[in-house]
Amino acid sequence: MQDRHGGSDRTTTRFKAPRLLTALLALTMLASACGENGGGDAAGEEFSGNIVVSGSSTVEPISIAVAELFGEDAPDVNVSVTGPGTGDGFEQFCRGETDISDASRAISEEEIAACEAAGIEFIELKVAIDGIAVLTSPNNEEVKDCLSFGDIYSLVGPESQGFDQWSDANPLATQIGESKAAPFPEVPLAITGPGEESGTYDSFVELVLEDLAEEREKEPQTRPDYQASADDNVIVQGITGSDTSFGWVGYSFYDTNRERLKAFEVAGEEGDCVAPTPQTISNGDYPISRPLFIYVNNQKLEENPALEEYVDLYLSDEGLATVPQVGYVELGDEDLEATRQAWEDRTTGTREG
Amino acid sequence: MQGRRFDAAGFVFRLLLLAALFITMLLLTILIIDVVTSGWSVLSTRLGDFLTGKLGSIPATSGIGQGLRGTFFIGLFVVVIAFPIGVGAAIYLEEYAPRSRFTRFIDVNIRNLAGVPSVVFGLLGFAIFVNALEFITGPRANGATVISAGLTLAVLVLPIVIITSAEAIRAVPESLREAGFGVGATRWEVIRSHVLPYAGPGILTGTVLSLARALGEAAPLILVGAVTGFLTEGARYSLESLQERFTAMPIVIYTWAGRPQPGFVENTAAAIVVLLVVVLLANTVAILLRNKYEKRR
Repeated sequence: MQDRHGGSDRTTTRFKAPRLLTALLALTMLASACGENGGGDAAGEEFSGNIVVSGSSTVEPISIAVAELFGEDAPDVNVSVTGPGTGDGFEQFCRGETDISDASRAISEEEIAACEAAGIEFIELKVAIDGIAVLTSPNNEEVKDCLSFGDIYSLVGPESQGFDQWSDANPLATQIGESKAAPFPEVPLAITGPGEESGTYDSFVELVLEDLAEEREKEPQTRPDYQASADDNVIVQGITGSDTSFGWVGYSFYDTNRERLKAFEVAGEEGDCVAPTPQTISNGDYPISRPLFIYVNNQKLEENPALEEYVDLYLSDEGLATVPQVGYVELGDEDLEATRQAWEDRTTGTREG
Repeated sequence: MQGRRFDAAGFVFRLLLLAALFITMLLLTILIIDVVTSGWSVLSTRLGDFLTGKLGSIPATSGIGQGLRGTFFIGLFVVVIAFPIGVGAAIYLEEYAPRSRFTRFIDVNIRNLAGVPSVVFGLLGFAIFVNALEFITGPRANGATVISAGLTLAVLVLPIVIITSAEAIRAVPESLREAGFGVGATRWEVIRSHVLPYAGPGILTGTVLSLARALGEAAPLILVGAVTGFLTEGARYSLESLQERFTAMPIVIYTWAGRPQPGFVENTAAAIVVLLVVVLLANTVAILLRNKYEKRR
């Protein structure tokens, strides 16, 4: 779902310059960085030390991109970013082993309890939104413009194996109910989507299929017989290849290929049809979206000025500009304001959990 | 060995064996051609950059310098720790230990250990080297360092080293030892000048196979806490850098293989080719050593 071709072409400096030159360079870079961020710490302050980031592999690309930016300003700080998953990340975070925990969901009750038991206070910062667009060809005149979760489940859920006409999904859609598009017409159903190894696949299953699959006592997964690809361009080719195709990709990729694709409106559990736009995704109206967070350890923040600088950069315009580059939706103005306010006030605790 | 009549069964058997060899070679060739062709765009255009570069978010500027460094140190730990301990234990078991029920019990257990899944060794490494011995393995990195990784993989291959070495020592003809004792040599002298030189090539083959196994393991490293996404440092070959966070080749390959953007497919293939070359180099060194040993015998 990521499109890096339009992204920045920054490269990390790898050569070893003489010491004086390096110092001068670092100074000027730091000064310019401070200028961009609108002041901040005293110019010329050298940062060193360690920053350890771990957690969700979905948020990992944002943290990596910010770390790459950060390395240009503060080359003496050792940053490490790892993506074992949100749960594992919180486990390490609540043992005090990491400074920042990446999370693709809010912290859970048990995790809060674990953090409290270890005396760890955290600042919760929403940094981006992950949205998934459900797509067909712009030439598709046969199928209605809006799908419910039940419709999507009927078309690509675990019980849909072998359906090669849209109409094959009708009995299942009727059985589940609350359909927006049934009865489906009798036209070929050609499905292309990301493969199981992709984060987009996981999010899609988790947000759309999981609840229904659990209700119906099936494995939470898609049907196995669709054309899977790790390459978004191949998925787009698949979707444009048939007039009555079906597929899904990360929102940002749909956004950059709008003229070749048509996104369905999607009705979640509330039942309203919502089209995916940056507004509906960032305010949560579009149902196939989830917020992405970073959690910052408050104590480490006081001990480690470099950590503060890293989060400052993360939440700056420059830092958050990496969000669409790695394939996610930027926060709405309100959310962004709230995040920056929470950071400025060092508000601890969760507002989402 | 052939009889006068046409041996139909023998002919079929021979064909089957040839087919087995052919299938193995075919699969290997396909694998190698596949990774080399898909990694070629990286290997041919920016090899130096790729070999020294860092982990990153942009495929075109990411490299495996940090992964190579981690894999180098893991290999070093295996050679320095697992080989002497493993070969030593094998010599004791075969040459000194009395043939009792107890030694047979130990023998069986070592064989079982060699079959334990590597994840289990990862858990062991996490509990002992990462957590309990954190103050040695890396207090600044919560024990998630290349020392923990190296020790974990050394423990992982230890049973394999012991078994293969013991097999090699057992294959030394008893007459050799008796000849040594016959001219008044002590047990130590017999082992040093007869048994070890004779068993040396076999021991080397076994140990190098276990080294290749250690260099290719990803699962235990995930548990030990190898870094997957980004590292500022992690490319230095110094003593104190041993206590910093690390990554290694199998982890880099595993992470990149899961990345959706197209450029990482080529990066992954190129990294696989490099790891294959590294293992091949280790094998070559072992073969050279073995040839040297065999001449001295």
